[in-house]
Amino acid sequence: MSRRRSKAKTRRIVLPDTVNEPISEASLTGGSVRQIQELIDLLRHNNLTELEFERQGIRIRVRHELATKPFTTAVQESVPAPSQQPAHHAIAMTPVVEGATGFVTVTSPIVGTFYRSPSPDADPYVEEGDSVKKGQVLCIVEAMKLMNEIESEVDGRIVKILLESTKSVEYGQALFLIDPKTAS
Amino acid sequence: MFKKVLIANRGEIALRVIRACKELGIKTVAIHSEADALALHVRVADEKVCVGPAESALSYRNIPNVLSAAEITGVDAIHPGYGFLSENAHFAEVCESIGIKFIGPSSENIAMMGDKAKAREIVAMRGLPVTPGSPGELQSEEDALLAAQKIGFPVIIKASAGGGGRGMRVVNKAEDLGRAFQAAQAEAKSTFGNDGVYLERYFLEPRHIEVQILADNQGRVIHLGERDCSIQRRHQKLVEETPSPVVDDKLRREIGRVAVEAVKAAHYRNVGTVEFLLDKDRNFYFMEVNTRIQVEHPITEMVTGIDLIKEQIRLAAGHALSIRQQDVVLTGHSMECRINAEDPEKFTPSPGVITKYSPPGGFGVRVDSAMETGSTVVPYYDSMIAKLITHGRDRLECMARMRRALSECVIEGIKTTLPLHRRILDDPDFQKGHVSTTFLERFLG
Repeated sequence: MSRRRSKAKTRRIVLPDTVNEPISEASLTGGSVRQIQELIDLLRHNNLTELEFERQGIRIRVRHELATKPFTTAVQESVPAPSQQPAHHAIAMTPVVEGATGFVTVTSPIVGTFYRSPSPDADPYVEEGDSVKKGQVLCIVEAMKLMNEIESEVDGRIVKILLESTKSVEYGQALFLIDPKTAS
Repeated sequence: MFKKVLIANRGEIALRVIRACKELGIKTVAIHSEADALALHVRVADEKVCVGPAESALSYRNIPNVLSAAEITGVDAIHPGYGFLSENAHFAEVCESIGIKFIGPSSENIAMMGDKAKAREIVAMRGLPVTPGSPGELQSEEDALLAAQKIGFPVIIKASAGGGGRGMRVVNKAEDLGRAFQAAQAEAKSTFGNDGVYLERYFLEPRHIEVQILADNQGRVIHLGERDCSIQRRHQKLVEETPSPVVDDKLRREIGRVAVEAVKAAHYRNVGTVEFLLDKDRNFYFMEVNTRIQVEHPITEMVTGIDLIKEQIRLAAGHALSIRQQDVVLTGHSMECRINAEDPEKFTPSPGVITKYSPPGGFGVRVDSAMETGSTVVPYYDSMIAKLITHGRDRLECMARMRRALSECVIEGIKTTLPLHRRILDDPDFQKGHVSTTFLERFLG
């Protein structure tokens, strides 16, 4: 059974067997990386610009930008729908839909080191799934020994925390995905 | 030697420094604004850090972000290029305080030479020639008149806090002095917020002659000859050449000696350029010291065979000067044309996408540029997009090569000053070397 997207011309592509192996978790294990590589190869081989694949609550989109950018890969955990579609083999090609999910990305306003908690032994400021309010501190970005508190610009729910503590961040780097529509 | 260096700049100079680092086996970190995310200098570096949005005050000149980028990438030195933070004494000082080497002179050197009156004072006290001028700021019209009569007309009244040609008035006769004094004060006040003015002898057709110096940490200083940068528009250089057509060996030794002495008097380190005015009678006068590597450094490299950026990095790493003054030999002649993304007649900026970029090549031609076909010239930064440099056995061959290179050079999609450079190279006065800092204004009519 194929999954159709509205407004798109779809093309049915049969996936190689390896892609049918279960995708264990949202975190990238060796097997998942191989599956993503297979998708990238498939995209190149068939001269596609975008490929989206979903099963078992995991959606993988691979896009080839026409400018001199490298391949981008987005792995998203989808919210389980009430009626699950059965696992399928075919995938559909979709037009590029920017911001389709409507999530707000919290980006770093400075260069520094990212910390999820105020100190090493303290609890993180937020976890995935938490509701947050505008102005609430989400994390620290430390720059030159100064701890800068990064606040949320919106009310909403933390969908995804995009990196771990002690990672370096640059200006504009994405830190959190917040769903502004599901503030409690 | 440094293991990793952060280049706190963009465009062609960032590329230049990254190239030198690669040759020295040093790892490189490029910083960039969001507007420069796809720039060439970012792609050729080993690591990159975005430091802010397009505006340079929030990115390339954002000291906390630049230093933080240096910290998270673990560099041991920062090269500031030219412009941006390169002559910011505070930035140099902060680098020093956090244990990151600033590749350039010390913060004290920068502060001292940045105060133009102070720099002149130091040089004058050594008995070296400085532009005749009032000892300090002028307190009144009477003060100005006395000073002008002592120096000799014509004089120019300049804003102390000034620059860029603003707050200046030329006075030819004593009767005009009062009015000019008031006007200069008013313009200084409105432009720089400070109505302090001073006076200097005004030279009618001066040439801008500058001397490249190198100094190591043990106090050894050498000079690498002069550059003639008289082709300027509104104090912005457009064409530079070395050697100067009006400087012979004897004069070169003299100016070189004065430049070295001036720099020694200030305990200067690393690279620098000493600027002089040369009047019609070939008398020269100290103007100021530029405490950075300069845009036009390649022409000195072409005639001396010395890689100035590598020397600069070596000196910053504590190495002694590898050349003695007697080993410095100037071979042939070199010129540089600064290609700007501007209308060649109106000089209005011309940002946009370069649809075709085809630089010239061949023997004796060098192009320093970070542009490629498809590059976007953004309006946020300096409009210079390429430096076209040629070298020849003598000035004639150098000019022939420059004319040939300019004719081959293709940059489409935006307007550039290429047509202006072609006209300059065709000008009989330029070809004879008969130019001064007023040449271009007359040329442009």
